[in-house]
Amino acid sequence: MNKVLFFAHLRDAVGKESVMIDAAGNTVAELKAKLTKVYKLPKMDVVMTAINEEFAQNDEMIQEGDTIAFIPPVSGG
Amino acid sequence: MNERYSRQILFPGIGKEGQEKISGKHVLIIGAGALGAGNAEVLVRSGIGKVTIIDRDYVEESNLQRQQLYTEEDVAEKLPKAVAAKKHLAMINSAVKVQAHIGDATPEVLEDLTRGVDLIMDATDNFETRMVINDVSQKLQIPWIYGACVGSFGMSFTIVPGKTPCLNCLLRTIPLQGLTCDTGGIISPAVQMVIAHQTAEALKILAEDWDTLRKTFVSFDLWRNQYTSLKMSKAINKDCLSCGSNPTYPYLEHENRTKTAVLCGRDTVQIRPSASGEISLEQLARQLSSLGYKTKGNPYLLSVELEGRERIVIFKDGRALIHGTKDLTRAKTVYQKILG
Repeated sequence: MNKVLFFAHLRDAVGKESVMIDAAGNTVAELKAKLTKVYKLPKMDVVMTAINEEFAQNDEMIQEGDTIAFIPPVSGG
Repeated sequence: MNERYSRQILFPGIGKEGQEKISGKHVLIIGAGALGAGNAEVLVRSGIGKVTIIDRDYVEESNLQRQQLYTEEDVAEKLPKAVAAKKHLAMINSAVKVQAHIGDATPEVLEDLTRGVDLIMDATDNFETRMVINDVSQKLQIPWIYGACVGSFGMSFTIVPGKTPCLNCLLRTIPLQGLTCDTGGIISPAVQMVIAHQTAEALKILAEDWDTLRKTFVSFDLWRNQYTSLKMSKAINKDCLSCGSNPTYPYLEHENRTKTAVLCGRDTVQIRPSASGEISLEQLARQLSSLGYKTKGNPYLLSVELEGRERIVIFKDGRALIHGTKDLTRAKTVYQKILG
């Protein structure tokens, strides 16, 4: 299983800070697509992804036990 | 000078030598909103040599809750933010040279203002300008510090050419629908936390204590009690068009810029964004009406009544018409308030 953390407006869209999901063997892009469907998330293509607190690209493969975080870049200032 | 900066000199990370270095440095601050005002105040108090600040907006009442330099008097006088900032900064530390520019931070203007500065502070409210800052930073090899916030959420990352990934490595494209303070609200502590992260890094760079720079991308949510710090070495893209081996600095090129045009015979400006993609009008309508904006729409466009006299009509491809103005800069401000 994998813990998936959501930040900023993604957390509001999902309704909780984290979910447990089996994502081992999926790429980051595949997990994004899956979550977009399940939680009707806003566009995820520019959301930054971290695997175990390290920046990850869309084609990176997720391993069993990895913690994934989705952090949307914001523009306010 | 020693008495004024004595507590900062006592701090071992800076010391006498660091303070001397700081006092000879020139910082460019892009934007004089919440982050710009706060960053400017910290840096001017710290005794830098010179600050240049650029902004295209004027002070409004809704700024006062978080934009720490401004007063009710500035609102009454509708002072341009750059001018109001300069006025207050001069009262805080008369020894620091402050140069104020009222206007749009276009690629030409930014490249011009950046020559000769030691550091660029990002205090803008949109990704288009940040991508331009990013390209100018790479082209002229000058570091910049990204900072942004919305709601109770904030983030910062220090970009040093040749050492760290750049913003184009991280984003690859301009996010079309970034949340802004005008759509997602903002609390002052989130602003202050971003300023704290940005200015701590700035002091390290200005004191030339390069080894202590934070290499991680920080983000936090002060309301939800979240804090993360991401390692970024994997984000470096050797083919990046901004910082890779064959840079073209794409955001300094004309095609990638937001195009504005006054519509003939109408009090309307058209804006065509540089990002391509589709906007979810439904979602935007929900968000804006929950904030009290009057919206009206159909599957093709969304019309939003703004506080002033303008009305903005947004199309699915991100193109927008701003009615009630002929001022290109004003129209761009209105657009970026709503769409980031």
